[in-house]
Amino acid sequence: MSSEAFEKARADLGVIDTMIGFPAPREEQAKHYDFIRRQTHDADSQEWEFPAQYMFKGVPHYDKVDDPVEMLLAKMNQHGITRALTGMAVDGNAKIALERHPDRFIASTNTDPNQGMDAVRKLEQDVRVHGARAVNCWGTGLIPQVPLNDKKMYPIYAKCIELDIPIFVYAGVPGPRIRFAPQEVALLDEVCWFFPELKIVTRHGGEPWSELMVKLLLKWPNLHYSTSAFAPKHYNKDIIHFANTRGADKVIYAGYYPMGLDIDRIFAELPHVPFRDHVWPKFLYENAARLLKV
Amino acid sequence: MTMPTDVGVIDLMIATPFRAGARTYQFLRANLRDRESLDEFEFPAQYMFKDVPHPEAGDDPVRFLLEQMDRFGIEKGMLGVSFSEERSADSLRALKQHPDRFFGSLEVDPNRGMDAVRDLQRAVEELGVKAATAFPAGLYPQVPINDAKFYPIYAKCIELDIPICVCAGVPGPRVPFAPQYVGLIDEVCWYFPELKFVTRHGCEPWADLAVKLLLKWPNLYYSTSAFAPRYYPEAVVKFANTRGADKVMYAGYYPMGLSLDRIFKEMPDVPFRDHVWPKFLRENAERVFKLS
Amino acid sequence: MTAYETARAGGVVDTAVGFPKSREDMFEFYEFIRKGSHDAATTAGELEFPAGYMFKNVPKWESDEMGDPVEMLFLEHQRHGITQAIVGVEDEVGRRAVRDLPDHFFASIGIDPNEGMDAVRKIDRYANEFDLKAVGAFPSGLYPQVALNDKMFYPIYAKCIEVGVAFCSTAGVPGPRLQFAPQEVALIDEVCWFFPELVFVTRHGCEPWTALAAKLLLKWPNLYYSTTAFAPKYYPADIINFANTRGADKVIFSGYFPAGLTYERIFNELPGVPFRDHVWQKFLRENAQRVFKLPAEDLS
Repeated sequence: MSSEAFEKARADLGVIDTMIGFPAPREEQAKHYDFIRRQTHDADSQEWEFPAQYMFKGVPHYDKVDDPVEMLLAKMNQHGITRALTGMAVDGNAKIALERHPDRFIASTNTDPNQGMDAVRKLEQDVRVHGARAVNCWGTGLIPQVPLNDKKMYPIYAKCIELDIPIFVYAGVPGPRIRFAPQEVALLDEVCWFFPELKIVTRHGGEPWSELMVKLLLKWPNLHYSTSAFAPKHYNKDIIHFANTRGADKVIYAGYYPMGLDIDRIFAELPHVPFRDHVWPKFLYENAARLLKV
Repeated sequence: MTMPTDVGVIDLMIATPFRAGARTYQFLRANLRDRESLDEFEFPAQYMFKDVPHPEAGDDPVRFLLEQMDRFGIEKGMLGVSFSEERSADSLRALKQHPDRFFGSLEVDPNRGMDAVRDLQRAVEELGVKAATAFPAGLYPQVPINDAKFYPIYAKCIELDIPICVCAGVPGPRVPFAPQYVGLIDEVCWYFPELKFVTRHGCEPWADLAVKLLLKWPNLYYSTSAFAPRYYPEAVVKFANTRGADKVMYAGYYPMGLSLDRIFKEMPDVPFRDHVWPKFLRENAERVFKLS
Repeated sequence: MTAYETARAGGVVDTAVGFPKSREDMFEFYEFIRKGSHDAATTAGELEFPAGYMFKNVPKWESDEMGDPVEMLFLEHQRHGITQAIVGVEDEVGRRAVRDLPDHFFASIGIDPNEGMDAVRKIDRYANEFDLKAVGAFPSGLYPQVALNDKMFYPIYAKCIEVGVAFCSTAGVPGPRLQFAPQEVALIDEVCWFFPELVFVTRHGCEPWTALAAKLLLKWPNLYYSTTAFAPKYYPADIINFANTRGADKVIFSGYFPAGLTYERIFNELPGVPFRDHVWQKFLRENAQRVFKLPAEDLS
């Protein structure tokens, strides 16, 4: 039942993956996480290629990548991912992808609220001039960390409302061995109250506060949840139940390729998620399309 | 596990139907920020409730409410009152005319400092109220359960030997939950062990923590207001069936969000054990609110 | 002529002025302060002006003494040599003043961060309609109070920077019997650190933390001090000393008319302030013109 509805939604609408990156050779990928290592204190994190690797099986590894953009696109095609939300500035790949395949990639800019007004101006520039349709902020990974309800976030939130774009933020205990306090789910309540117009999409699960997450998703109309970094077999039960009952419009598909999950694994497991039929098209496509104005 | 029908139920949260045009939820507006709550919702938590009752009470809402209570075997109901004639005219009349059927609880706002303390004293003396009630997240400004501004109110409740009923858990209306986080109750019960503190509105999603605290603090109680019986948290039902038979009390939410029809239709399916039922429906309230 | 007289002849800017109101209207205006107060003298209205216990001879007009407020204020300014003034434009009186006398009156608004994005949009809206010179706040007088370093203020600060308008706030213990915590001078440090571009002008004295205020004025290039609500004989010694040494560009004259001080009193006392010669012109006119972007001409 579920898997037929999944197939039909994928065939009819396609899939928007709201979290994807470009494959990179091992050393390069490992180096990308230096910013996390800088604020870890344990020995493992200094050595591990991927600072959350203790949580993932089968993290994709490549010794050599010839053309990251075409390689990703082939993977997307293989699984029916029609569009992907990707960062703008991590490396040159995003730029190439956005230029070469504007119908397949959607740009998300990144923000560091520690930069104050420069961050606000960069956000405005990236949206108005460079066509970003979302902003990403992982406050817990910043140095210094910036909690979700921190005052430094407030000018960013205000600007998102002015620009009418969603902000993707992280909630729940993070995998890397850094403090979780800045992304406790409870912090979202104050932000949603003060900025009811702000469109927020959480990433990375909201665990172990999924019950509270559901309460807040129900309470705040512009708060959304995306499944990034979770293999479908580990999708949270509270969230699935919520999507199946009152929350079909609030839960959004996101993968985690190539950071921690292979797309092959995601799409092998995905059809078995017990979503009800009407949820699938919204989950895979419509909710993200609405927020990202596809 | 059969619900008895002859205990003379005490409902710890009931109200006379609202008069047409009454601005019942006006007080919440100052804390609301989202347009839907401000412009569209009649009842700020309506997105959580199915079939919010809109009883046609005619011109005597007190009589109407009594008839409803008779239908469902509710012997006594606790009404929230204030000294505001505009807000409380019907409730004040109900208390005066039917003292055997109604008892009052005074709505307190700690932002008013000593005036609130004095009002509480006066309400006990003049209106015979049996409790204080507070909605921390609905106050303007909000006042957390463990805020210093609440402390003189708590002290006065102890002096007057009355319980205080306080909303705890994520509130339905779109205001911040922080002032009603269940964890805050711990400090209050520690500092005022004599205070009879009764939670309202479910304590969700921290029902497990609520149970821990109910076990820990002898004078902490739980009431089921605003929850349809089919949604009573499992942890609380289990607690009532094991060590907490004396700590959990029935409160409805009529007519704010639930009809009595629905409540009493669903109620027999709550898996309370036999010895719990009379305590839950009547005896605990009778003792805690000193009604006999 | 003394340096003070020369400076004054070149024109004086008052950066915070209200229009005369009748006693009844003024009383009504202070309702927002009574709302947040707990003491009987204030809440019962025994104190007609909630900070009245601090002031002698507060200007008052009975309703039958009231004429056109714009004309009354303008005449008052002409009598005392005030050449430019920043006034609120949130009511019709202020709007008419800036429209009819654009060389004399300049626009400002008050802000309440409790209003969230509506407050942010308010700045945009007024900046589009007027040549907005200042956004003012009274943190202790808001309901609920909002501290200067509170997150609710941050989108306001960001918007002031974007629009290029100065932010003015009361700082120090407020006269009305409200808590001072939201406007403790120390809070300004964090704001100036995070928003170094923000032009921040303190109002109402910064007492009793004037030594700290002087430190911060020296530390933060875009932080300024204005003398609102202080009769010149009470200007804090720390501030006078700072203006005379490194801070000649940082201290800005303001009166408190008609809320608490008459111009007669201000200009009687002003020559007695021990500013050094080079300070006067900057204090009375030039600093305000630069900081608030007012047209600058020496009228002497």
